[in-house]
Amino acid sequence: MELPDIVYSKDEYVETASGNKVSRQTVLCGSQNIVLNGKVIVQSGAVIRGDLANVRTGRFCVISKNSVIRPPFKQFSKGIAFFPLHVGDHVFIGENAVVSAAQIGSFVYIGKDAVIGKRCILKDCCIIEDGAILPPETTVANYMRFTKNGTMEGGQGNPNFVPPAMQDKMVEFTKSFYEHFVKAG
Amino acid sequence: MDVPDLKIYPKALVCEESNIKGDVIVSAGCVIHPHCNINAENGSIIFGENCIVEEYATISNKNKSPGNYEILYIGCNNVFEVGCTVEALKIGDKNVFEAKSIVSNEVEISNGCIIGAGCRLEGKQTLLENTVIYGNDCLQREALEKQGSQILQIDYLRKLLPNYHHLRKSNYDPKKIRSAV
Repeated sequence: MELPDIVYSKDEYVETASGNKVSRQTVLCGSQNIVLNGKVIVQSGAVIRGDLANVRTGRFCVISKNSVIRPPFKQFSKGIAFFPLHVGDHVFIGENAVVSAAQIGSFVYIGKDAVIGKRCILKDCCIIEDGAILPPETTVANYMRFTKNGTMEGGQGNPNFVPPAMQDKMVEFTKSFYEHFVKAG
Repeated sequence: MDVPDLKIYPKALVCEESNIKGDVIVSAGCVIHPHCNINAENGSIIFGENCIVEEYATISNKNKSPGNYEILYIGCNNVFEVGCTVEALKIGDKNVFEAKSIVSNEVEISNGCIIGAGCRLEGKQTLLENTVIYGNDCLQREALEKQGSQILQIDYLRKLLPNYHHLRKSNYDPKKIRSAV
């Protein structure tokens, strides 16, 4: 499937040497603690809270409009601690999503308006549907689909809840998203 | 951005990037994260001590009464998490509004309530103490045990946020005003 071009104006996005395209309307708090490993798109209105803890994303990630990436915290008997948030390669995070996961694998698709609770672990190649709400400390295993109704589907014997060749699909999707995210003029 | 009617008590942390409109009083110990929306154009909003307002939380006063404005009182130790929308009539103490929860106008919230992530609360009602709203269907039940306090989180944020953000200065000190009188 060929994606349509998304055209942005030259003034709106900054392109770094490693190919990251970051909107000027994003809120990157504590930017010294945020690592975008190259060819990452951060669209306008997205919030990345690097001030709370380190945030690291792999290559070819897409962080859509108005989504919030917020490292999780845990309360201990003596104070609280924020945990670093690692995101793998080829991850798509939909619009208005709130992500407080501890770890996100590679080739993960997070739909729009999804809420990933505190300290969730998303393994490789899983899908979080649009509007799904993951309770805190949920682990979503490889090739599983977390639905809007709050159920986890897939697993042994049910291979078709994520598309076959999910990995290749996500590679293709995020790469073509990057290639079709073009400057005007 | 300068808000003339914004009163910030000493020891409150209000990030400069927060979006505050109208007459708002932020009591001591509150932490207002960047990019939250507090809209008090229809009537003032008063935050009690030690409240946390996170990114994209929207708190607006929609209490309408003929003639004069009604004030939206928000008690102590409330947490408004990422992306919640709150337009309640009145909010007590120790409530948690989780991510993307929606509380519409005409709702009165007592103490110790938790509005779960993504839950909607609409229509005229008063929540009893320690009510928990949860799940896809927004079911209600009473909490079995008391929730922990948020004070540790506030302490941590109070140490952390000044290192990374420009803060609005506190401009209202009840002690000074009292001594001046």
